[in-house]
Amino acid sequence: MESYLVAMLVFAGLYALMALGLNVIWGLAGMVNLGLVGFFAVGAYASALLTTKQFWPMPLGWAAGAAVAAAAGAVMAVIVARLRGDYLAIVTLGFAEVIRLVASNEIWLTNGTDGISGIPGPWRGAVTPQQFNLIFLGIVWAAVALAFLLCARVSHSPFGRVLRAVREDQDVAAVAGKPVLWFKVRAFCLGAAVVGFAGALYAHYNAYIAPDGFAPLLTIYIVLALTAGGVGAMRGAIIGALVVVLLLEGTRFLAQAIPGVTPVQKAALRESIIALSLILLLRFRPQGLIPERTRTKARP
Amino acid sequence: MTETRIGRRAALWGAAGLTTFAIGGKAFGQGAPVVFGALPPLTGAGGPYGPAMLRAIQQVVEEANAAGGIRGRQIRVVAEDDQTNPDAGVRGARKLIDVDRVSALMGTWASSVTTAVAPLCWENRIPLFTVSGADSITLLPHQGFIFRTQPNSRLQIATGADFLIRQGARRIFHLAAQSPFAQSSQDTLVEKMRGVQGGAVTGYIVYERDKTAFRSEVDQIMRSRSDTVFLNGYLPDVTILLRELFRAGFDGRRFTPAYAVNQSTFQTLPNDVTNGVITWQPSPDVDSGAFRRLQTRFGNVEVDPYSAQTNDHATLAILAAAAAGDAGGVAIRDNVRRISAGDGERVDNVTDGLRALAAGRAINFEGASGPVDFDERGDIRGTKFRYERANNGRFELMELR
Amino acid sequence: MIQDWRDLAQVLLNGLMTGSVLMLPAIGFNVIFAVLRYPNFAVAGYATIGAFAGWIANTQWGLPAGTALLAAFLAAGAAGLLCEEAALKPLRPSGALTVAIASVALTILLENIVRFFFGNSLRGYDLPVLRDWRFDGIRVNPQQLANTGYAIAAASALFALLAFTRLGRAMRAVADNPQLADIKGVDPDRIARVAVFVGAGLAGFGGMLIGLDTSIDPLTGFRVVLSVFAAAVVGGLGSIPGAALGAMVVGVGEEMASVLLEPAYRTVTAFLAILLVLTLRPEGLLGRRT
Repeated sequence: MESYLVAMLVFAGLYALMALGLNVIWGLAGMVNLGLVGFFAVGAYASALLTTKQFWPMPLGWAAGAAVAAAAGAVMAVIVARLRGDYLAIVTLGFAEVIRLVASNEIWLTNGTDGISGIPGPWRGAVTPQQFNLIFLGIVWAAVALAFLLCARVSHSPFGRVLRAVREDQDVAAVAGKPVLWFKVRAFCLGAAVVGFAGALYAHYNAYIAPDGFAPLLTIYIVLALTAGGVGAMRGAIIGALVVVLLLEGTRFLAQAIPGVTPVQKAALRESIIALSLILLLRFRPQGLIPERTRTKARP
Repeated sequence: MTETRIGRRAALWGAAGLTTFAIGGKAFGQGAPVVFGALPPLTGAGGPYGPAMLRAIQQVVEEANAAGGIRGRQIRVVAEDDQTNPDAGVRGARKLIDVDRVSALMGTWASSVTTAVAPLCWENRIPLFTVSGADSITLLPHQGFIFRTQPNSRLQIATGADFLIRQGARRIFHLAAQSPFAQSSQDTLVEKMRGVQGGAVTGYIVYERDKTAFRSEVDQIMRSRSDTVFLNGYLPDVTILLRELFRAGFDGRRFTPAYAVNQSTFQTLPNDVTNGVITWQPSPDVDSGAFRRLQTRFGNVEVDPYSAQTNDHATLAILAAAAAGDAGGVAIRDNVRRISAGDGERVDNVTDGLRALAAGRAINFEGASGPVDFDERGDIRGTKFRYERANNGRFELMELR
Repeated sequence: MIQDWRDLAQVLLNGLMTGSVLMLPAIGFNVIFAVLRYPNFAVAGYATIGAFAGWIANTQWGLPAGTALLAAFLAAGAAGLLCEEAALKPLRPSGALTVAIASVALTILLENIVRFFFGNSLRGYDLPVLRDWRFDGIRVNPQQLANTGYAIAAASALFALLAFTRLGRAMRAVADNPQLADIKGVDPDRIARVAVFVGAGLAGFGGMLIGLDTSIDPLTGFRVVLSVFAAAVVGGLGSIPGAALGAMVVGVGEEMASVLLEPAYRTVTAFLAILLVLTLRPEGLLGRRT
């Protein structure tokens, strides 16, 4: 039971990192990003390939994962920064699918749908699986703390204030003499870097990555986490990630207790509950569990 | 990477084997049920297969419980949905291993899920029974904990190609869904066809599994003037392809793995479209009752190969635990070969197997998916293949060898 | 690959067939967008609902496919209206993006409701499979031709509704300028309901057309959703003729890609089409600047 809880906390930490990254892009800069899992995949593949094929040390691989994801974010931002939110949602969604397809088909680079196995983990093999879990728990939550401090700092810095201004009304921000595009690109980069770092950690925790693992469902979980916690508030992203993992895992035990339905129906109910809770959250607590304190009126 | 570890694994294997034979039959027979974990895909791309796979496992367990369970202990199956996603699969496996304390995992389908879950299994020393096809799975450093009932793609494609050549096929078009074994299938096929007078692989297309239209692909098949098309995909896409080939008037052989055409294909497509489609799958001997029993239990319909395999997963785990007198993961791992190969009494179902073991006889289980003899990597070997032709909503046996 | 004009004509024809199947969900998506100004990702779910409703009408009640399409339209429209009123409408004050995200969740919910009642197994309509007609080496399938006909008929009906009826004029007025329409005495709520019903209904109609050509399961709508979005964006969000044109562009593009590039990259083509159009003409082929 304990190792299960520890493992789920590791997942919660990874989700929290992703939610923090999304919060910079969406919460602060107001650009929706439904292609989150694409950046997660880019970070994971970059680190996995560099450590297994080029034998880079792990911390360097993780940094590279963040850097490559940031670069992808920059390219993405330049392309989409001028787009309205609704177009942005569709384009980012498409981007994640493209990443998954490239990972499936460029076998020479990514090993295709076979995925990459045997990705090293810190002290894996030298310690027991339980100890490895605990070590990773420490690493992930240290990373969460670091990212939290970084993002909170950014959020309260002049940079963060400009981003909020851009979010609320980018014409006003532009008139005030702020280079809106440049601010958006930097926000996208930072957010993508955090998400890519989460991807790199994920790869080294699981020891295995494959295109199947980067399905759009993961993006939805993170959006759910951020919405649950409160878009804009950094603490909210972390609370939200914990709530989502509780929801994902709790529904398992809940579904088991439902009598008189087939296993497929249980699985369907479980996914329904998750989807329904997102809708209900948006309906009854649109500001999230931890509302953003500097919040003015939210606008799309 | 793998070469260095095989030696270590083999050594471990031997050591582990010796110790369990020595300590076999420790505290046992108390009331606590034995728990097995099932991790089939109930949602996502594997959704058409998972439910039947799970049903097969549950039916075996019910039968075993009716026969008195494992040395008096009842058996319980806990199922989690892997969502055809390695991420969800890992979380599900963690729960099964750490919370339910299962002594074996079975029924993983997607290769990616199996590869992601496998390290958890060998770290926690429980066996993993899988139907996944990627060749890389049994090359993992799994210390004997993986048992795969699906033949690896080399074996499967090589025997399939031999059959096609015997049938007179010379120009084969290979149409494959993007999967871990698409490329190795192609390599094997090319190698086989090169060895035949006039043989050629006339085309090779890898397609996206989720697409709903394959018209241009079928155009290429028609243009290639092939006498045979090999549809190396899954249920939803092969269903579309069969319809499209019929429309286009393709009159050559259509050859496809048995898991890509099953009962639901017959319900989805008219008979004049499916008639003549040839499938192949690993199989037990004709006189083995295992396959027919499974068919009867499924309501006298065609059984897909994955369900036949999970039927065997559950039976192997139960019989291995019963033979060991210990339902721990290591004991099951070490006894699977003892009850599935050798000169023991041949049994083809769990009830007979339990009875024979209780009487102290050695057994050799022959499953619904084949003789289930495993080599040292955990791959099946020496299996026969059955080739069947669809005819008016049923499969007719063409050949078994 | 493409050796003479026949091959080219065949690919174009295949593309138009593919496009005509994408057309109705894309139009449905744009109808909802035109009036309500948010991208409703739940069209995937509505398409699946329509496909299953049509399946019930066709195989359980024995209706011919043409009539069953009407059932698909009505059921998906009703489902869309219900979802809109119960789940999405209350979110409108929070902004278009909130609604869009809720509609993603809604798709998953609908997929699993279908799964709960029908399971995962594939189902097919009660329909003979016809051989292709051949014209000078170019093959056309009568069933696909009929599907294209159904799609064009449905799209034409929508055009007629918009062009010649009071309701249609009111809808266009709301799409152009909600405030002004309000002043003129058009009830925007009623128009919104009509738009959602028609939009979701068309998605359901299109979902059944997809099913007629393939087979259906809970993922039917989900499989085409990216191409549908691409069609809507390429044509111009909110533009109904744009969606029709966009669907054809994406359809032809995907078939071209599978011949010229690799079939495994079909979806990437759709995405590239989006990027290309957005870079050169951000409002889409037939969209208006906003």
